[in-house]
Amino acid sequence: MTGHARAGEASFTREAPVQYKRVYLWHWAVRAMHWVSVLCIITLAVTGFYIGRPYFTSSGQAINHYVMARFRFVHFVAAGVLVATAMLRVYWLFIGNRFERWDALLPYRQEDWKNMWLVLKKYLFVEPWKAPHYLGHNPLQQITYSFIYLVALVQILTGFYMFGLADPGGFFYTVFGWVGPLFGGEQVARFYHHVLTWVWAIFLPVHLYLTVRADVVHQESRISSMIGGGRYVRADVEFVDD
Amino acid sequence: MYFPLSHPWAEDETLGEHLERRGVTRRQFLKYCGEVAVMLGLSQAMVPEIARALQEQRRPSVIWLQLQECTGCVESVLRTADPTIGDLLLDLISLDYQHTLMAAAGKAAEQAKQDAMEKNRGSYLLVVTGSIPRNEDGIYLTIGGRTGQDVLMEAVQGAAAVIGIGACAHFGSVQSARPNPTGAVGIADVIRDRPVVNIAGCPPIADVVTATVVHFLTFNRLPELDGEGRPIFAYGSRIHDQCFRRAHYDAGQYVQEFDDDGARKGWCLYQMGCKGPATFSPCPIFQWNDHTDWPIGAGHPCLGCTERHFWDTMTPFYGRLPNVAGFGVERRADTIGLSLALGAAAGVGAHAIATGIHRARTRQAPNKEPADLPVIPTEKKSEEDPNG
Ligand code: SF4
Repeated sequence: MTGHARAGEASFTREAPVQYKRVYLWHWAVRAMHWVSVLCIITLAVTGFYIGRPYFTSSGQAINHYVMARFRFVHFVAAGVLVATAMLRVYWLFIGNRFERWDALLPYRQEDWKNMWLVLKKYLFVEPWKAPHYLGHNPLQQITYSFIYLVALVQILTGFYMFGLADPGGFFYTVFGWVGPLFGGEQVARFYHHVLTWVWAIFLPVHLYLTVRADVVHQESRISSMIGGGRYVRADVEFVDD
Repeated sequence: MYFPLSHPWAEDETLGEHLERRGVTRRQFLKYCGEVAVMLGLSQAMVPEIARALQEQRRPSVIWLQLQECTGCVESVLRTADPTIGDLLLDLISLDYQHTLMAAAGKAAEQAKQDAMEKNRGSYLLVVTGSIPRNEDGIYLTIGGRTGQDVLMEAVQGAAAVIGIGACAHFGSVQSARPNPTGAVGIADVIRDRPVVNIAGCPPIADVVTATVVHFLTFNRLPELDGEGRPIFAYGSRIHDQCFRRAHYDAGQYVQEFDDDGARKGWCLYQMGCKGPATFSPCPIFQWNDHTDWPIGAGHPCLGCTERHFWDTMTPFYGRLPNVAGFGVERRADTIGLSLALGAAAGVGAHAIATGIHRARTRQAPNKEPADLPVIPTEKKSEEDPNG
């Protein structure tokens, strides 16, 4: 019996083995959307940084190369797939289970904000035992993911706007033509499209770390929930969104 | 070069008769009409109609206002290598008021304008270069003791059409760049009740001006305009999509420095800050100075001068993206982004280490503070399977 029940609080101290239960969180479609998005976003970032600042050039006759054109092609295809996925996800915000619905992504209750503060404190090692437990997303996750969706939205709009410029009068030009002037010019829209990628570059390590940490430190089986759809959680822990 | 007419207009002469007197052959004239048709994106079947309409014109009166501007547009419009029939056409309109070119000065000049406006009320063409300063009631520009806005609005009343030439008339150009001390705006911002054609560019190409005038004379209406008021026949597609360096762009071949090998080979100027991908202009097709060359052709990146507020949004002219201000020194967005991303990664690492230390401490002093979750027995399955 190594490492058994070392916690100081009486209610948590027990000799009996811990009971587990399995909760089902993510529909396979949501999981598929997640991993397709991951692929698309990484592809978009890698190709996008080439398009923004070509980090290598080809030599010889131009007719023998098609580097930038291919990068752009892949970029546009990945963007199309991501947007299709995003549209599906938006649909799922209304038909999904209660962990997947729109209100699970918005900390709109007063209690959510209190809990967010507690979660934040937990990550700062301040009274971590006070932090509430969630089956789905905790309020900090909720607001982070909503924010990152917003970032994606800005990039999608500016992206389609710039895409449309090649074909004036065409579909994208007509539908997204208002985006440029809204930003105050094509270059400004381009700028935001470009720099917002850095938000993803910041988000990715933090997201990865906190997920792994949740699994390692708190045995929350978050990673496997995004693969298998369900989590094993301790039966003796109370969850806010149970 | 602009030169005074050797054969002055006779009273009530049509353009056709006048050209004949000046020794312009029918063939030359039709060729010009054909070129104009191409420029305007019209079918060649329209050439006879253009020719007929132009021939029958009776010397239209043009009033050209120069407001807050540098006269560069006038130079561009007038200075071509040899007098093409295009210039001729500009000669052949009755340019009744134009600061730079008119012989009259002072009261006489202003009187000439007033007379022309009276006589041709409702039918003259108003050409405007320059912006309107609006701060301090517009005192930054006065002509004959009146503010620019006053002068403009008076002339607009009787005009058949208003054509703004250049970036100043379009949006205010350099004088409207941040912080815009004189409050300069384009003429379309003060003329609200009628369409204004913006021949955008700093300066614009002379042929676009001529073609627009011809369109107006031929069809008695302005050409189709885009959202910026620019004629679509000229500003209908991006420089980037008409550029002859585009093959190098697609191939991934970029000039890195102005004197490198790529520059000698004529590679794409994207990395040098070319704004061709953001700029709608006919430069690659029409070109400049009697179709000799154009900026990208000469090896210089496009500055994007046909786009609104290009002094603010297209700068730095030799960089791909705008600078980020507010960091003491101006820094490239990517440097900041990369630092933040690396900072996030480092922060994550530090947090992981802190977590380890925190856990170890909690374990060693179990009674001081409770762990956030009781530590789970490592051999959970050996005693009792949670699933039964
Ligand atoms: S030189 Fe400029 S306009 Fe031409 S292909 Fe390169 S980026 Fe595009």
